[in-house]
Amino acid sequence: MAKFVTIGERIHCISPVIRDAMATRNPAPILKRAKEQLDAGATYLDVNIGPAENDGEDLMKWAVQLLQSEFDNVPLALDTANKKAIEAGISVYNRAKGKPIVNSADAGGRIENIDLAAANDAIVIALCSAEGIAADNDERMMHCQNMLERGMMLGMDPSDLWFDPLFLVVKGMQDKQMEVLEAIKMFSDMGLNSTGGLSNNSNGMPKHIRPIMDSALVAMAMMQGLTSAIVNPCDLRLMETIKSCDIFKSNTLYADSYLEI
Amino acid sequence: MPFNQKPQKFNAKINTVTIGSGEKTVALGGNSTLPLYAFDAPTANTAKIGVEISDLGQTSSEGIKAYYADCATIGEAAKKAAAMEGADFVALFLEGGDPNGANKSVEELIAVVNEVAEAVDCPLVVEGCKNVEKDAELLPKVAEALQGRNVLIMSEKEENYKTIGAAAGLAYNQIVGAESSVDINLAKQLNVITTQLGVNAQKIVMNVGSAAAGYGYEYVVSTMDRIRGAALSQNDNMLQMPIITPVASETWGTKEAAASEADMPEWGSQEDRGIDMEIMTAAADLASGSDAVILRHPQSVATISKMIKELA
Repeated sequence: MAKFVTIGERIHCISPVIRDAMATRNPAPILKRAKEQLDAGATYLDVNIGPAENDGEDLMKWAVQLLQSEFDNVPLALDTANKKAIEAGISVYNRAKGKPIVNSADAGGRIENIDLAAANDAIVIALCSAEGIAADNDERMMHCQNMLERGMMLGMDPSDLWFDPLFLVVKGMQDKQMEVLEAIKMFSDMGLNSTGGLSNNSNGMPKHIRPIMDSALVAMAMMQGLTSAIVNPCDLRLMETIKSCDIFKSNTLYADSYLEI
Repeated sequence: MPFNQKPQKFNAKINTVTIGSGEKTVALGGNSTLPLYAFDAPTANTAKIGVEISDLGQTSSEGIKAYYADCATIGEAAKKAAAMEGADFVALFLEGGDPNGANKSVEELIAVVNEVAEAVDCPLVVEGCKNVEKDAELLPKVAEALQGRNVLIMSEKEENYKTIGAAAGLAYNQIVGAESSVDINLAKQLNVITTQLGVNAQKIVMNVGSAAAGYGYEYVVSTMDRIRGAALSQNDNMLQMPIITPVASETWGTKEAAASEADMPEWGSQEDRGIDMEIMTAAADLASGSDAVILRHPQSVATISKMIKELA
């Protein structure tokens, strides 16, 4: 099995520093966060430019070229509701280190992002919900099937659809947690790749608790077959857990210094 | 149904490490297929053969003695080894340094190294005496003496990697041979800590341990198999170093090679038994993942060379 893929989530326009850097095309804050995440072991970097309705195309091109030229063609997840911006980003994207990821499609209003990924030979994150959170796993798997069929009809390799069960917040939806984990197992049994915004589970918890909850959940999810997650790679406990689970799963070969590489 | 070949493709490859300087160099590794799977992708570099000579003389068998009969000095033996049909490089085994054996001084051994280096311009591999403390003293001096020749300094182990790795890989810019004994986790660990010293990963060759066929050999096979598997299918860059395997020093000491015909008349020719052990072990090493083997007998070298050519 391949190593677990971590997608670093810290280049996000919700952060004032990043939003300002994007608006003024100031490379320094973005490069700093990129470097921190890569040093911490991220494989992919997510680039969230928000809705970016005005200058999304220009902004995404700028960000892709900035990051790939500085960090040896680092593979990227292009994260925005603006489809034209994603296409613009892909048009300047170098695939040497991995295909671009379109973040994201769902089974509702954003299903056309699957078509976009198919047309551009990209990976797509396929969120298993339509208009709101899936009520149960029957609904989740129905969305999964629909999106899988759509992608395959358009000639996509099934391994390029990364299914997202939608991780749910514990404070409020504690009773749904095992269901999400069971959905991951179903994706895995079908031979499909999976990913998701794992830290959503610990939203609203005290800061010192979150790494503990995130680490426990990633271990359980990897046991179920999760192949990737969108995470904060600067969370040392989480990254150590992922690296250790990769050892147990024989995704990487053990060496005493495995945490340092 | 027609046969549809489906090549097994990996998005990873073994590093190419070049040994030697000037016009005579040899490239190890560089392939992106399982060992000898030339049908999956073109072979970048075929496996290479080193001919081993010892500072204590070439006495493993009557045939080997005969081959070197007219050599009065180690320099002449080196020339003869380099000229052997099928040889790609010469491996100098400084076994006389062993404190439990001849216990030659570092100065004496450096004189041997210099004599060999002057006699031949082919790529060189230098093997330590197998004693960890003595090697830590000896091999940095070897690396220093051979500056500019881009030689492979074998026998950097977990116990002495700082001294040998720093001298060979950093101070004198040679190739580092990282040695572990049939322990896949340690093989990886040694590469990690050697690169953490600052040694370029592209300048490391692994000796992951060896055994003669029949002497716990299954462990050697599974070690090489798993290393090559992780290097290619998991793209593990801490295991993508080419593998070199000293064969002769294992096989010529086995009872099959050493028992005389007087003691074991039913086993047949002693010379043939020794050659067979060397060839069988080397062939199995190459099929398991070695990018280079170190042999002694001219007949073994010729046979393995033919095998490599025909399977390329």
